[in-house]
Amino acid sequence: MVESLYVHVPFCAQKCDYCAFYSEPSSGETINRYVAALVKELEWLAPELRLRTVFFGGGTPSLLTLRQWEQILGAMERLNLLGAAEWTVECNPATVSLDKAKLLRSFGVNRVSMGVQSLNDSLLERLGRVHSRAMVFKSFDILRRAGFENVNVDLMFAIPGQTLGIWRETLREALALGSEHLSTYEVIYEEDTRFYAQLEAGKVAEDEDLACAMYEELCEAAEAAGLRQYEIANFARGPDVETGAPGLVTRVPERACRHNVNYWRGGDFHGAGPSATGYVRGVRTRNGSNTLLYCEQIEHGRRAIEFSETLSPLARAGETAAFGLRMVAGWPFGDFQKVTGYDLRNEWAADMEEAARRGWGRVDEQGFRLTALGLRFADSAAQLFLR
Amino acid sequence: MDVAHIRNFSIIAHIDHGKTTLSDRLLHRTGTISTREMEDQLLDSMDLEKERGITIKAHPVTMLYRAANGETYELNLIDTPGHVDFSYEVSRSLSACEGALLIVDAAQGVEAQTVANVHLAMKQNLTIIPVINKIDLPHANVPLAKQQLEDILAIPADTAILASAKEGIGIDEILEAIVARIPPPTPTGAGSLQALVFDSYFDTYKGVVTHVRVFNGELKPGLQVKLLHSGKHVEVKEVGSFNPKPYVREKLEAGETGYLTANIKSPQEVKMGDTITDTRHPAPALPGFQEIHPMVFSGLYPINTADYEHLKANLAKLQLNDSAFVYQPETSVALGFGFRCGFLGLLHLEIVQERLRREYGMDIIATYPSVIYRVTLTDGTLKEVDNPAYLPEPNYIQKIEEPVVRAFVICPNENIGDMMALISEKRGSVDHTETLDSRRVMLTSVVPLNEILIDFHDRIKSLTRGYGSMDYEHAGYQESDMVKLDMLVNGESVDAFSCIVHRDKAEGRGRALAAKLKEVIPRQQYAVAIQAAIGGKIIARETVSALRKDVTAKCYGGDITRKRKLLEKQKEGKKRMKAVGSVNIPQEAFIEVLKA
Repeated sequence: MVESLYVHVPFCAQKCDYCAFYSEPSSGETINRYVAALVKELEWLAPELRLRTVFFGGGTPSLLTLRQWEQILGAMERLNLLGAAEWTVECNPATVSLDKAKLLRSFGVNRVSMGVQSLNDSLLERLGRVHSRAMVFKSFDILRRAGFENVNVDLMFAIPGQTLGIWRETLREALALGSEHLSTYEVIYEEDTRFYAQLEAGKVAEDEDLACAMYEELCEAAEAAGLRQYEIANFARGPDVETGAPGLVTRVPERACRHNVNYWRGGDFHGAGPSATGYVRGVRTRNGSNTLLYCEQIEHGRRAIEFSETLSPLARAGETAAFGLRMVAGWPFGDFQKVTGYDLRNEWAADMEEAARRGWGRVDEQGFRLTALGLRFADSAAQLFLR
Repeated sequence: MDVAHIRNFSIIAHIDHGKTTLSDRLLHRTGTISTREMEDQLLDSMDLEKERGITIKAHPVTMLYRAANGETYELNLIDTPGHVDFSYEVSRSLSACEGALLIVDAAQGVEAQTVANVHLAMKQNLTIIPVINKIDLPHANVPLAKQQLEDILAIPADTAILASAKEGIGIDEILEAIVARIPPPTPTGAGSLQALVFDSYFDTYKGVVTHVRVFNGELKPGLQVKLLHSGKHVEVKEVGSFNPKPYVREKLEAGETGYLTANIKSPQEVKMGDTITDTRHPAPALPGFQEIHPMVFSGLYPINTADYEHLKANLAKLQLNDSAFVYQPETSVALGFGFRCGFLGLLHLEIVQERLRREYGMDIIATYPSVIYRVTLTDGTLKEVDNPAYLPEPNYIQKIEEPVVRAFVICPNENIGDMMALISEKRGSVDHTETLDSRRVMLTSVVPLNEILIDFHDRIKSLTRGYGSMDYEHAGYQESDMVKLDMLVNGESVDAFSCIVHRDKAEGRGRALAAKLKEVIPRQQYAVAIQAAIGGKIIARETVSALRKDVTAKCYGGDITRKRKLLEKQKEGKKRMKAVGSVNIPQEAFIEVLKA
């Protein structure tokens, strides 16, 4: 049985300048068609699912209307897909209403991830976001009133035009909200985004020193506010707890996102919706990203999978090693062996040594993990472990 | 065939003037190959040759031609390499002939390379038949081409045949002229066998196949022969000719051209220009033999040290069909184990490297090419240095001499100024300027060989928008104030970047190299200092700042495949870098440095 499910909602009010995720402008009719197709896809997947974590991401899941949500949630109830220990829905501060929040909460959604990005209005505009700082505070309030006790705030730094002062202020205000979780991303100039085009055109420039200063500021401020880093970009409240499938537990702060931890640990998950990825029994699949094509295929009774790959056991283990190291907890040798069947101390002994030599990693009796410096060079460290 | 009915000839032409097309036409017209077989560029068998339009290997082809007088002649076409690097090969091929076709492009006129090769042919007293080719082109200028033949080459213009190899125009006239104008071979008067070796190639089944022109006596299987210069004794196994595929013949007689096989395993045992004679009745050697000496040296190193044996095996394979290429093991502080390789010239170097990369799939690094310097030490001993790493310390050096060449540059009138400036930038001096026609001049200058190694030819081409051309011949040595320029990466001298330069140019070159290296060395976890130094004195410095992070901020389930592929690609890229101390230097850096 697969215990994690990702659902992609590919609609946005408008496309953000930095975003390379698949989404498209919404039209009511398309969304209805998507909802029907999604329900059908969930029907097919349901027999394989006994859910511990669910994540609705996007796009902007909160863009769906009350009615559309009712359809999805109703279907999930019918399919026995409720009751996950952690169920997250991503929300845009501009599209959170009390009714919607209450509806989600009543079906068992217990975590909301809010795409705040910045609390500076001119930067929000620069990012192409549809919301304002005022909406953030209002929406956060609504979520709390609706009974959400586990909320994540997404922030971005190294945004063109963002000074260290602006970042400090955003951090201070965001932490003052008292969210249980914080995800922070340095702007990535991904191809096919307007940001990338601006960078290429020389209209904006990357400032590595500033980005590093912002990162240091972030780590200090988050720690001081009681949010502990457990992954390169993620901070959470609470004492260490053990989470994960029976027999494979990871020590993370209590409010860490269990769903994402499962990704980094190489766990299985199903994906539903356009462009959604799944990883089940070593096979990674991805649905086609075109929504209409997705709907059409599902309507004709076909899965919408457009890509699938099966790596050799060693390559899969290397990938699991590489991505697992993004977590502060690193890889306990025993856990890694349980997941992959390989012993890090054999196949990767030289790589661990090399990482340690460069000051990126630390090996002890229990396992291997990246140092604070290593987390800054996690891509290079990951390369050592790929096979 | 009786000697009176044999004609041996070569074709001299500038690149792209139509040598190959004309050869194919002759083969076709004489029925040597059928229309179906007349694929493009039949004689050039290597892909690289086709691509560059340069023939590197010469294959002799025997054609039977029924002339207008009703008699049948054996015409032997001895193809020649068309580049200055191979001028000794050209001269050996020419000395196997009594005549040469000189092709001049009706639109381009006489080029520098043509001049050099015509001089070679004249030195050998060959009968020259001028052919003005491509007369069908709309911008063909036949009167001008004729004028140039007279003015530049002193060849009577009325002897020129107008042709278009592409259109098949003038082919019969050319064949008739070969029969009528080129004299039949004349015996040398030596009492016994004399055969000139003008090329060889390696065949997996037959061993070394030696191309020969018999001057006296006859060559046939079973004969015990001696190679006079190499001193080797062998028994002839097989003789034959090419049409253009090899075919076995009973014997090769005086005046004829073909091949022989014997128990010869290594092409190094067959020296170009050697004389083959009868062991029992030895004749004197034919004139003109020289040992081939490589002029340009460069170190070749595998990117991955584990590929050393692989590289060694491939160099050996390459050498089988390129006896002018020499190599021996060497070690570099920065690059580990590799080979010092000697080439006839820069094109030869490029061809070998390119073949290693393409045909053999090798990832290699080539060090900065060097010429051979003659260093006189303070104790009076003479030392030849072809690797900057072995240049003695300055206090032990009395003087350094460097090889110079006589360079011939032909350019349009309006570019004279540019060419003069370029030659002077290259430490050359123009000693002769000749007006070729109303549009072009030829500058003759003496230039140090090390200055023309890298970009001289390219610069001429770009300054003249492609109209200029260049050729050179070696012109001895001259004393020069040369110094060794070291490049240090994080304090460590990278011998692959070191070079010997003239003192006046050392500082500029050091700066340029440092700036270039800063561009091509990727940022690393630590700051990387790049320094240029002469004898321990730092003359330029650049710093590649430290990389502070390389992490991608977010990565969730949907990103993993794409991210993994990106990381794999980056990892692959790093593998292709050479670790020098703690610094990774990409292959491109070693190539870019040549262009700095």
